[in-house]
Amino acid sequence: MEYGPTSSSAANAQAWLDSTCRTLGLFIDGKFLLPADRQTRTLTGAKGDSVCTVVCAVEEDISKGVSSSASGFRAWSGLSCHQRGKASCSTPATLVRLAQYYSSWAQLRDTLLPHWSPLGVVEVVVSDDCPLYSLMLKVLPALAMGNSVIVVPGLSTAPSALLLAQIFTEAGLPAGALNVLTGSTLFVGAAVACNASVSSVSYSGNKQDGVALCQATAGAGVAVSVSAAVGAVCPFIVFESADLDSAVDGAIEAAFRKRKEVQWMLYVQESVLDGVLARLRLRVASLPCVALPSEADRSLVEAALIQACGPPATGLQYPPTVLCGVAPASPCVASPPPGPLLPLMTFRSNTEGVTLGNHSPHGHAASVWTEDLTLALEAAKSGHKDSGTCTDGGQEGLYQFLQPSCSSPSLPRSAPTPLDYDKFGSTVSSTLVPTASAPKLYQQFVGGKSCKSESGCSVAVRAPDGAGVLAYCPDGGRKDVRNAVEAASKVQPGWMKKGPSARAQSLYSLAKGLEAKRKELATSISTQTGLSLDEADQEVELSVGRLTDWAARCAQTQGGAPAVPQAGSALSLPQALGVVGVVLPDNQPLLSLVTLLGAAVAMGNAVVMVPSQRYPIPALTFIQVLQASDLPAGLVNIISGARDQLTVALANHNVIKAIWYWGSPEGCQYLQHTCTGPFKTLWLHSQAHGDQGTRWALAPGAALLEETWHNATQWMSIWIPTA
Amino acid sequence: MSARNPGINIDLEWVSKVRVNTQAVLKRAQQIQSVKLAKKQWQAAWLLKAVTCIDLTTLAGDDTPSNVHRLCMKAVQPVPHDLLRSMGMHDKGVTTGAVCVYPSRVADAVKSLKAANSSLPVASVATGFPAGQTPLRTRLEEVRAAVADGAAEIDIVINRTLALTGQWEAMYDEIRQFREACGNAHMKTILAIGELGTFTNVYKASLVSMMAGSDFIKTSTGKESVNATYPVAIVMVRAIRDYFLRTGHKVGFKPAGGIRTAKESLVWLSLIKEELGDEWLSPQLFRLGASSLLADIERQIFHYVTGRYPALHELPMA
Repeated sequence: MEYGPTSSSAANAQAWLDSTCRTLGLFIDGKFLLPADRQTRTLTGAKGDSVCTVVCAVEEDISKGVSSSASGFRAWSGLSCHQRGKASCSTPATLVRLAQYYSSWAQLRDTLLPHWSPLGVVEVVVSDDCPLYSLMLKVLPALAMGNSVIVVPGLSTAPSALLLAQIFTEAGLPAGALNVLTGSTLFVGAAVACNASVSSVSYSGNKQDGVALCQATAGAGVAVSVSAAVGAVCPFIVFESADLDSAVDGAIEAAFRKRKEVQWMLYVQESVLDGVLARLRLRVASLPCVALPSEADRSLVEAALIQACGPPATGLQYPPTVLCGVAPASPCVASPPPGPLLPLMTFRSNTEGVTLGNHSPHGHAASVWTEDLTLALEAAKSGHKDSGTCTDGGQEGLYQFLQPSCSSPSLPRSAPTPLDYDKFGSTVSSTLVPTASAPKLYQQFVGGKSCKSESGCSVAVRAPDGAGVLAYCPDGGRKDVRNAVEAASKVQPGWMKKGPSARAQSLYSLAKGLEAKRKELATSISTQTGLSLDEADQEVELSVGRLTDWAARCAQTQGGAPAVPQAGSALSLPQALGVVGVVLPDNQPLLSLVTLLGAAVAMGNAVVMVPSQRYPIPALTFIQVLQASDLPAGLVNIISGARDQLTVALANHNVIKAIWYWGSPEGCQYLQHTCTGPFKTLWLHSQAHGDQGTRWALAPGAALLEETWHNATQWMSIWIPTA
Repeated sequence: MSARNPGINIDLEWVSKVRVNTQAVLKRAQQIQSVKLAKKQWQAAWLLKAVTCIDLTTLAGDDTPSNVHRLCMKAVQPVPHDLLRSMGMHDKGVTTGAVCVYPSRVADAVKSLKAANSSLPVASVATGFPAGQTPLRTRLEEVRAAVADGAAEIDIVINRTLALTGQWEAMYDEIRQFREACGNAHMKTILAIGELGTFTNVYKASLVSMMAGSDFIKTSTGKESVNATYPVAIVMVRAIRDYFLRTGHKVGFKPAGGIRTAKESLVWLSLIKEELGDEWLSPQLFRLGASSLLADIERQIFHYVTGRYPALHELPMA
């Protein structure tokens, strides 16, 4: 029995495309523009037919779009929350829930997120293969928070993005609040990002384009947040305690759908392998072929297939195929090809299943099948890893489109300087000529021990007036960072597991220890920075207060169970990032150190900190406090030395998940360019040579502290579907 | 009919390992319901297929020889001859799958069908239908009486008390005895899913019934508050598939109770096609227990043939 042909429902879409003569222009300032003499790109349908063509924007169009967005931002952000909520609420049926959700956030922004303001003009770039939903997951929150948005859609989402812009504008969005510039994602994306009116860039799509965009915009003084979900490899783990039929149905639904965003890997417990295979065999045999993304992908798919089994089938469509007997070392697992292929691997015990599933450079999502709730929750491990640098969705996803009110942007706009990325930070520090009156020799703090640098070299610390040598401190380098990260990554999971109350206790006692060494630290600040002893003492007091503040907040940041549209419940849990590298500012050397250390450690992270090159002594004195504390050895590491050299070392260690940087514009540019494989979450601050950096003496609850807190956390969502 | 399911020894370990994720089953049911149904001539073909799978049923206290006779005549000629002829199906022997009556009416039905020179099987419910709360001795006697009167198929009900208290072995033994009492008559086992509580129990009851040698498993009697639903059907056909994968025996499936529209019958057929494959799309392995469904299917076929919707009195009543 065959179903016969079913009626097509594409008539409306075809009619809309026909009304545009199948050539889609740019959407700027509330209307379609079809500039002449532009290159075009053609979008092809699943059957290889041409659907429509889109225009490639050039410099002239881009500057027009950006200035429209700048004025659009003034109009849009000038509206009340209520007006914004109303205007962003009407969208077509498929996106209704999402639009409604974010229009509620638009309405409630000032009520629930006081002290936060929109960024300005936000650019949302997506790669050619990115689905519309991911695009809207960026556009809608950005608009809801009061930003104006320039969308640079990929080829596949271009028609939908243009149509949505039209619908939004008809629904009352001010002209310019949402502009769409089509063309080559990379060229247009980078050109828009480099325009000084753009405040922030958010990218969603595949990894390669994300890396290219980050590198193309490095040094432009604009932060790029990346969600590299497309093409991520996600584990699909079936334990023996699973409902096997449902699990197999779920796997087939996920792996063989027409447009899949991620690559699934099927992990099956050995004891139920036969049952799973038998069901897969039955189901896969009756599935229709799936269209490959492009003809070029065919050879990739076939290469994988030949490695795995026999000769490939022929034709443009491809039959869904399960690859059995592959292993993590197989090429089709290491770099999975596109297309309807599902590699299958086995595991022995529950623990091994969890380990195998998590042993991947990606951390986007996982599907866990068991009827055993405790096992399911234990299997859920966290970490974005290489899947991006930001959180999308929910309240946490809003902060990438917000900045603390009354704070200047940490990264001033600049033109990228020609920088030799290979040579950065490799200048040899000047040779030390020992003087007769040897001043104090400080040590650094790695893995819970104070020690000299691996190289054995030291650098001189100059007095504030630049005249004499105050002290010597170790000249740390790549190997010191390596040792520190090794110690930190060993101890961090246990620290996170300890739970917030135990972490709070350790921080309280650290604050006590700091109080006990008050005099010594005040002296060190005073000699180092030239402040009076009273002022220095005040900084120490503030630092004690700051640590206490963080300790108090430890137990207060909890996850929750947000409502989900589908049946079931979701858990949203705060997680540590892992190992955070911190390059400290010159300003208020002790207070800034304590602020950043406290926030990171309180949320369960380990830190590798590089004290200010100019003023390292307070940080190195603080090591005594750390040694006396009950923080596990290796959780906090302090490595002194040349800033650029250590920045390079941090940037090139793949275990470090985030870098908080206060330093030169070149350093910022270097990090933006380098920290792309794997992606690190960057929090960059370009401090000019004068002493005008971040002010750290803030009242509790100040926006900078909130921002620090957000930066120290990533969120994991566990969805538990129930009937 | 195809080779019967001989049953196997009860495998309690298999039964105890059963896991069913309710949410995933509900989701799958939604997916099945969203499968685009056939249109035009394909729809007509699917509807005729549905007709051949119907167990045309009357199970009422006021059943008498005359309405049973009408039912039998309708079962022999379920779609008006002129409609079949315009589709070129008049000589294909389109009848329903069977007629289904209470044990006391079996003799009437057999007589009517014989008079009409039809070999259509008569199915009889038995074993204290619908509650099954009578002594095993009388339940067995009921089966034997119906078979003696000429029933070719027996729809037995399981003992829910045993299922709900987890006495799977005792339930297995009872069904085994029913099977023996059936002799050559095919046995359909009614699980009364509305009274089993959980999907896991439904799956387990399905397995035990098949192990005991049921030829069909059937959702419900039509007398419980919850009858044939798609999610519960998915659980049961998965059990059928599981049993087939392990033993190689094919067991049929019969949803019953509350199936009234042509559209529902199409969803049922596509559920079987998606979950078990085309092989199960035949009266040998799939039946729809229904009484008023046939009228709606006739209406749809009438519309397909003539382009008009008929008034109810234009179609012969059952």
